[in-house]
Amino acid sequence: MNDSMIQTRNLAIGYRLRQREFIAWRKPSHPASTVVAGSIDLDLAPGELVCLLGPNGSGKSTLMRTLAGVQQPLSGSVLLKGHNMAGLHPKETAKLLSLVLTDRVMTGNMSVYALVALGRYPYTGWMGTLSDADEDMVRRAIETTGTRAFAHRHIGDLSDGERQKVMIARAIAQDTPVILLDEPTAHLDLPNRLEIISLLKRLAREEGKAVVLSTHELDLALQASDRIWLMKRSGGRVCSIVTAIPESLVLEGHLEKAFSRNGFEFDQHSGSFRFRHEGSSQVGLLGDGVTAYWTRRALERAGCRVVQGASNIRHVEISGDESRDMQWRFFPGENGEPVVTGSLDELLRAVVRSSKEEEVS
Amino acid sequence: MSNTVSELCAPAHPWPSLVPKSGMILFMLLLLVLLFMLDIALGSVSIPLKSIVAILFGSDQEPVAWEKIVTTIRLPKAITAVIAGAALSVSGLQMQTLFRNPLAGPSVLGISAGASLGVAVVMLASGGAANAFAIRQLGIGGSWLLVLAATAGAMAVLLIVLAVAVRIKDNVVLLIVGIMVGNITTSLISVWQYFSAPEQIQDYLIWTFGSLGGVFGSQLVVLSVVVGVGLLISFAASKPLNVMLLGESYARSLGMGTFSIRLFVILATSLLAGSVTGFCGPIGFIGIAVPHMVRSILNTSDHRFLMPSATLMGAILMLVCDVIAQMPGAQTTLPINAVTALVGSPVVIWVIIRQRNLKSSFA
Repeated sequence: MNDSMIQTRNLAIGYRLRQREFIAWRKPSHPASTVVAGSIDLDLAPGELVCLLGPNGSGKSTLMRTLAGVQQPLSGSVLLKGHNMAGLHPKETAKLLSLVLTDRVMTGNMSVYALVALGRYPYTGWMGTLSDADEDMVRRAIETTGTRAFAHRHIGDLSDGERQKVMIARAIAQDTPVILLDEPTAHLDLPNRLEIISLLKRLAREEGKAVVLSTHELDLALQASDRIWLMKRSGGRVCSIVTAIPESLVLEGHLEKAFSRNGFEFDQHSGSFRFRHEGSSQVGLLGDGVTAYWTRRALERAGCRVVQGASNIRHVEISGDESRDMQWRFFPGENGEPVVTGSLDELLRAVVRSSKEEEVS
Repeated sequence: MSNTVSELCAPAHPWPSLVPKSGMILFMLLLLVLLFMLDIALGSVSIPLKSIVAILFGSDQEPVAWEKIVTTIRLPKAITAVIAGAALSVSGLQMQTLFRNPLAGPSVLGISAGASLGVAVVMLASGGAANAFAIRQLGIGGSWLLVLAATAGAMAVLLIVLAVAVRIKDNVVLLIVGIMVGNITTSLISVWQYFSAPEQIQDYLIWTFGSLGGVFGSQLVVLSVVVGVGLLISFAASKPLNVMLLGESYARSLGMGTFSIRLFVILATSLLAGSVTGFCGPIGFIGIAVPHMVRSILNTSDHRFLMPSATLMGAILMLVCDVIAQMPGAQTTLPINAVTALVGSPVVIWVIIRQRNLKSSFA
């Protein structure tokens, strides 16, 4: 795997204790460093979109910073396109790897165009004058990210989604084979999130860039990434990392283990977590299709355990379909009249009422 | 089809230019020359503008008294105003970028206080009879001493602020630390004043009012050289300062050595603010107001254009302040420090109100 853009072998990341740096003559009474994660073996291929997943505190940011060369590894090394990162001059690193961070960029009067142009910093002379080729690169980056319409606007006037696209444009203008993004979809609404992810996917596919992003969006990561780097606790405090394509991570139960908490369950069908509804009372459900799916969701939310197809207990029958005459009929068991409703809201209220009566008696 | 038609017509979004309109800079240059003349023309003895131009261009047809007044008093003062305005503005611009804070400036972050302490120490060390004017009488050695003390004081405060800046990323905390360090410095001066003779205190107080009029001959050369070096370093730091606007993490990811840039900027700022404070006293508000003015006027954040225009605008504003200081027309002039605050504060308020998004776009 010599064409790896980023390669790590037996990498350990974490923090060195300050004490040792400042008071060198005193023997440290504590261990010299806090290892956040160890034994990290990663290979990042060109044209690959990788999502870095992991619960809070598992060391995602630390790994990102270490891969970006901002932080020193505790042991092991990071090879950036075959060069040991520790030996690279910052200027050379800047031509191989670009960053998109969560830091809010606050700039008096800086236009989008000027900000993207700063991506050319490693290539320009001491006064930072852009050559025609530089200018072309900047314009192409703006076109690629679809930010041309507001290229003249100030950064401060942009929405969060627009700003994120501009920051990605800046990274593209830096023209590096590797782009690292720290939670690029945080604070964005769903359309913006999808847009950012598809933009990154396009960059990987069409431009052959290796893209790594850390994220909390499990379902987006499962849908979009070519490979997932999953940070997880493996007993004790040190985390380890599992790398696999998204589908096998789900099938092998890694995701469930990494994020498991009480009160949530991982739905292997949809690849997402949801509340575990610990329903006490059972409700049967007759019907199918989209209506049945959402009826089931509503009943579960109301605290019922839904049994598909059971009509011998109290149950809900769906008639009609989404286009016309949709009706829910609720049979509250042997001691009650059936309730017919035209809305899910009413049905839910009837079910809850009957559950309460059941509890009382 | 409609797509291709609209593409053939003028592009919907023409590419913006990184270079601001040059007209503004030309206008500022013109304004600077006019104000320079006006500043020299005004004073307790009225000299017609025509004669002043003639004297400046080396004519010896004019009365000797007038020539004397212009070349030995008014010209040095006007040049000092230009130098001081330019130096304070450029140092303020760098401070605001380095700390990414719109309220940063040589006076707010305690740099001027540090320079004052340096001056106070020199006055104290040179014995009971010594005062600012006595030190100026020492000639070139004395000027160097004063500048050195002021620059060292300024640099000491800035280094303390920066040492804190390394650990604390929060701009507001940093600003408070800067102000507190300034307070400590000021209180040290107060302690010194308490134990000093009244004449010494009076001299120091007069120094704190600020004065553009006390710099002549070799001292003016010293001031120009030091400020010139400071400006050179500042101009050379334009490109890294642009990247600094993005914050330290981005700057480092773009291959910039943030440590050395911080050091250069601190050195330049100390030279600029320290030397001007040493010679002219602590002059406030120019350093904060001018960077906002030029950002507003040029509508850019690019230091390659902000630096020269801050230089020009600082000189212009300082000349305006000096003209206002002479306005009473009588034998006395107002203390320059009072005038810069009078002129500078409304400018800051105007900028903040006009630029509603100042906080979101800068701090």
